[in-house]
Amino acid sequence: MSSALLDVDAIAKTFAGTTVLAPTSLRVEEGSFVSIVGPSGCGKSTLFNIIAGLLVPDSGGDVRVSGSSVLGLSGHVGYMLQKDLLVPWRTVEDNITMVARLTRRVSDDDRREARDIATRYGLGEFLNHYPKALSGGMRQRVAFMRTLVAHQPLLLLDEPFGALDAQTRLEMQSWLLNVWRETGRTVLFITHDVDESIFLSDRILVMSPRPGRVVADLPNTLARPRELDVLTDPQFIELKSTIMHLLHSRESA
Amino acid sequence: MKKTLRSVLIPLISIGIVGLIWQLVIVGFHVQPYVAPKPWDAVMAVIQNWGLLWPLVLGTIRETVYGFFFGAILGVVLGVVMSKLELIRRLVYPLLVLSQAVPIIALASPLVLILGFSVTPKIVIVAWIVFFPVTVNVVDGLTHVDQDLLNLARVYGASSWRTFTQIELPGISTPLFSGLKIGATYAVGGAIIAELVGSTGSSLAFYQEHASANLQTPAVYGTTLVMTVIGIGWFLLVAGVEMLLTPWQRRNVARRRRVARPAADQ
Repeated sequence: MSSALLDVDAIAKTFAGTTVLAPTSLRVEEGSFVSIVGPSGCGKSTLFNIIAGLLVPDSGGDVRVSGSSVLGLSGHVGYMLQKDLLVPWRTVEDNITMVARLTRRVSDDDRREARDIATRYGLGEFLNHYPKALSGGMRQRVAFMRTLVAHQPLLLLDEPFGALDAQTRLEMQSWLLNVWRETGRTVLFITHDVDESIFLSDRILVMSPRPGRVVADLPNTLARPRELDVLTDPQFIELKSTIMHLLHSRESA
Repeated sequence: MKKTLRSVLIPLISIGIVGLIWQLVIVGFHVQPYVAPKPWDAVMAVIQNWGLLWPLVLGTIRETVYGFFFGAILGVVLGVVMSKLELIRRLVYPLLVLSQAVPIIALASPLVLILGFSVTPKIVIVAWIVFFPVTVNVVDGLTHVDQDLLNLARVYGASSWRTFTQIELPGISTPLFSGLKIGATYAVGGAIIAELVGSTGSSLAFYQEHASANLQTPAVYGTTLVMTVIGIGWFLLVAGVEMLLTPWQRRNVARRRRVARPAADQ
């Protein structure tokens, strides 16, 4: 059993008397890919913002990365949203190195790394393009590369492909799996797309709405590397039905 | 190249049409030459008196440019301070509105009393006009910067200075230049009003007054043309600087593959 890279211990959040997130605990092992699925309003983005250090939780809980508490601190996660958050005045290369630019001087090594990674993962032709010249899928790739070269131990991805069309989303999921396998990073992935969570993850945490909490922690033993044909694998269908049941029974309750 | 040609040609055509209408009105309604000249006569009045006009033109340009720069700098600094400090914003906003509610002509006389018949009150008046649209646009731009983008900077532990220089400041380029272009358009008008109130003889406004008093109608209209050209020229210069500084607005691909970057990019 490998050590937990992320250890969320009894984190809760109340806004103006309303409990958005009931005390929640979860662990993410180093090198694993864990998804959180849940309907909107289940507090997954609140949880995400607490882990990222943007929100301070109610007192009592703790968030540890590699064993040390990071409550209210910044600079320990890579962070990516449905919005690509590329700045229009920077080229693809300069957007990839944006995190370095925000925290220190951008070095030649940073630029070389950005060019290497863009070339390796299919954006080599677009290094000098401004974001507006790219499609939605390409922009999300750039955003993910920006997240990768920030060199944080944990990547937090909040519905990164939520705004893409179904075809592009499938392409991006395969692409992400490929990059994840080759770079060996730890990912916590938030989505409301059940197929997406099963296709990508080692473990799936199912959350319930109001107050949000984890109601199931499901291992996913589908063999890797996964191709698109796992979408029709009996094991996939079974897992999907379990998750759908959990989500649906909670919603109608 | 075809595109550049067109972007020059079309404005010239529209100016030509205005000149043509002017000509037709004068001829068609038998307007007396002491009331309004034909456009070409106004242009000729400028050309014939160019030796006299040129130093006056330079004077107006100087007031406009200095006033614009002081106004622009004041506008940006005030806009940034107001957007960062809530208390300052509440304190200063009413004063801003008040400053622009005062008629400029009513402001010019006391300024001349305070600062004398020098170039200073003219620069102050131009700056007074220019800073307002700049400040309003900077405040507006900075209060509408994407909160998620600011969160991104926070997650990675960016300092507020780097967040400002890397995200907020470049992010407001469009409203900032809108404010600067509005300011540029009004700047010459401010300089002329100031000259009207506060000159002892050698200014474009005074020259026009003098021509009017002597019924030199073509020179009166010619001076108006010159003032307009200064205004248009200054606007175009500011718009040109915007184009140079914001290449991402027009291009899909950055111009050069930059191997070694200059030190400005920190």
